[in-house]
Amino acid sequence: MQVVDYKCPSCGNGMSFDSATGSLSCSSCGRKEDIEQIPDPLKKDAFSENEANEYHCNSCGAVIMTESETAATVCSFCGSAVVLGDRLTGKLAPAMVIPFAISKEEAMKAFQKWCKRGLLTPKGFVTADRIKGITGLYVPFWLYELHNLVEAQGRATKVRTYVSGDYRYTETQHFDIYRKLRLNYKMVPVDASEKMNDQLMDKLEPFPYQQLKGFKTPYLAGYIAEKYSYDDGQLLPRANDKIKQYIEASISSSVAGYATVNFSNKNINNTFTNADYCLLPVWVVHYDFNKLEYTFAMNGQTGKVVGKPPISKAKVFAWFAGIFGISLLSLKCISWMMGGGFL
Amino acid sequence: MKKHHTIFILLFFIVMMLVGPVNTVMAESAESKILIFDEAELLSQEEYDTLNKLANELGGERATDIIILTTANSDNIDVVKMTENFYDDYGPGYDKPHGNAVILTMDMRNRDIYLAGFYKAEQYLDNKRLDKIRNKITPYLSDGAYADGFEKYIATVHRYMSFKPGVNPDNILFNIWFQLGAAAVIGAIVVSIMAYNSGGRVTVNRTTYEDAGTSGILDRKDQYIRTTVIKTKIEKNNSSGGGGGGGGGFTGGGHSHSGSRGKF
Repeated sequence: MQVVDYKCPSCGNGMSFDSATGSLSCSSCGRKEDIEQIPDPLKKDAFSENEANEYHCNSCGAVIMTESETAATVCSFCGSAVVLGDRLTGKLAPAMVIPFAISKEEAMKAFQKWCKRGLLTPKGFVTADRIKGITGLYVPFWLYELHNLVEAQGRATKVRTYVSGDYRYTETQHFDIYRKLRLNYKMVPVDASEKMNDQLMDKLEPFPYQQLKGFKTPYLAGYIAEKYSYDDGQLLPRANDKIKQYIEASISSSVAGYATVNFSNKNINNTFTNADYCLLPVWVVHYDFNKLEYTFAMNGQTGKVVGKPPISKAKVFAWFAGIFGISLLSLKCISWMMGGGFL
Repeated sequence: MKKHHTIFILLFFIVMMLVGPVNTVMAESAESKILIFDEAELLSQEEYDTLNKLANELGGERATDIIILTTANSDNIDVVKMTENFYDDYGPGYDKPHGNAVILTMDMRNRDIYLAGFYKAEQYLDNKRLDKIRNKITPYLSDGAYADGFEKYIATVHRYMSFKPGVNPDNILFNIWFQLGAAAVIGAIVVSIMAYNSGGRVTVNRTTYEDAGTSGILDRKDQYIRTTVIKTKIEKNNSSGGGGGGGGGFTGGGHSHSGSRGKF
């Protein structure tokens, strides 16, 4: 049995994850199951890791059409939530999951609100309800733990100027500086899905890690889940790239108080400790506007929306003209106050 | 959206009012005074008419007579003395005889030039400002482009007298092109930031994923090496422009004036 589904013990209807209560709930009789209490069917059944070519829905027997990355989906015939067990076990077993906190309706509303707030988006984009599709997607992420030992050497100066008699003195004190820092980063997220745009996923951060739960398949019921396309080794360079800027910022902040700092030598000793495979909740919104399709992503916990909206030339011009006018007026006022006449 | 339109139309008009030239205010003066005394005959009749008209117009706006006096100086009198005598004898002034006036005297014999401001013009065109005007027009006069130099003189007097006494009229903040440019730069920067951030911003920083318990500075050394001192002389501002100098004074008739003297 490679396909897992959730039947209500009371009425036999398909159950799915409810973001409001955080439990598995039945849409017909209202029964709610605490996910932490029920045994995960995946733990009972052992699956072979070989990928099956065909999955059949346990409810209606129809063939479940999926892409090769899909780990959880909804049967396109009967609508039952199904989890493809062999794509979530063995090497593909996620360690943790952050469940959705925002329901589909809330996500739609939040997205429309975000569109209205867009100061440069065209008028029609703000008002039209053209959401073509909204998908609750568990995106595979690797959460890296990276330890760094940093040693930096360089020169720094402090500058003081003062006036004495007819001369101005610029006094520069030179220092040899040395810093040794330990910088440990925990749970640096890197998305492991080929389909998702990296920049988009980076902007979705931060995810609230206090909501992390041990992985159980019922959290996926009713949503789409993907399995990772790249393993932790393949994505390590991207993780290191991400923390590099944090390391640089930390080094800079450790030498605050100097006028100039020049590092002659920076030695970063980087140790990759481990990476956890996690599924993080993202609402993906497809939106049609002027015959173009736009894709936006929303953090399924915090509601933060990212994605490039269309930009209205008229609005850009209007804002420019407005800011230009106000700036000019203020400059005129400043010059007038300094005694320069208004015109 | 309708509200937006009205705001922008309003802003547009404000901008146009600020930028637009003030030509419309230039009323035709009823009578033209003789303000240019071209005894050295440097100007053609046409040039004379244009400049005299311009001096009347712009001087009227500042309630000051903008006077040009050119002379072959057959008696070889000093240019300052000549200017003072002219003021005493002729008694020019926009408001009254011996009133507000600024005089440009050109001594063609000694190639001396002197600028003097009386009453309102003394207040608004102090020695420093007259120096600036003289420096601006001297190159034209040296080249023999008298009409251009005189036009520049009239225009600059008109412009400088619109600034309160004491401020530097060449301050870049007063320059309309600087104001337009700075406003355009501010607008462009703000709109670019808005466009850049329209797709969402990165809201994590270096502390987001840092394990504060185990991270930190393990060791630090700040070793003082040496001190270097650079000594620069403070330039005192006692400029007395090219070959010139000599500020104001009093005329024989007791009229106080500012002044700037130079060669061309």
